[in-house]
Amino acid sequence: MPFDYLPVMAQNSAPKPPRVLVLPSKPAWQPACKSVGESRVALLSSAAARLADQEPFIPREDLSYRKVSADPNAGEIIIDHHSGIGRVPKQDPEIIFPRTALASLAERGVIGSRAPFYFSFMGGVRQHQRIENELAPALAKELADAQVDLALLVPY
Amino acid sequence: MSKVTPPRAAFIDHPVGRTFGPPHDRKRNEAVLSKALAELPKFTHPGEIRDLGDAWSPGGSRAWEDELCVEMLQDR
Repeated sequence: MPFDYLPVMAQNSAPKPPRVLVLPSKPAWQPACKSVGESRVALLSSAAARLADQEPFIPREDLSYRKVSADPNAGEIIIDHHSGIGRVPKQDPEIIFPRTALASLAERGVIGSRAPFYFSFMGGVRQHQRIENELAPALAKELADAQVDLALLVPY
Repeated sequence: MSKVTPPRAAFIDHPVGRTFGPPHDRKRNEAVLSKALAELPKFTHPGEIRDLGDAWSPGGSRAWEDELCVEMLQDR
């Protein structure tokens, strides 16, 4: 039986009302036109992850995003998300933002290639309409510009 | 995940914030990522959730849940 996160998150939010989970207003399905082995793959993370020399995120309602080099040697990753679960991933951000693993899969030919940049933003933001109308289209454009075939979002 | 219907979702029964395994376990990071990507051709409809069938502890212990609750409540 999977762990039920919602009651703990509600307890965490109190006395604010529990988070409202919102369905996207438009269908998000797109057919997969290429196999994984032919695809250019990008990572997305809602951990508010960034390189140490990039501008910090401001919890909790920051709607910006950071474009992070896919090169695992490009610099230290900082996690700005306010969640208490950050103690462990801050020791090793690869467990939520696996740049090294994806580079290895590219080298082994498991994926076609990795995108040059990955993207991160603040999870848990309550401004759902602005996420759908501003943040999501901006990320979609970045992915399209980089000719990404497959984007893997790692929730945080 | 079932309440927000991402187009395709792969579920792994790990604590949140440890999606790809314990810190500094590169072999496990890569195994989880590889498994998730391998699910791509199996999705048939929007909102489908596919279980990667991976347990956090080798023996299937759920002791991590109590520790995680404490962590999750630390940012109040």
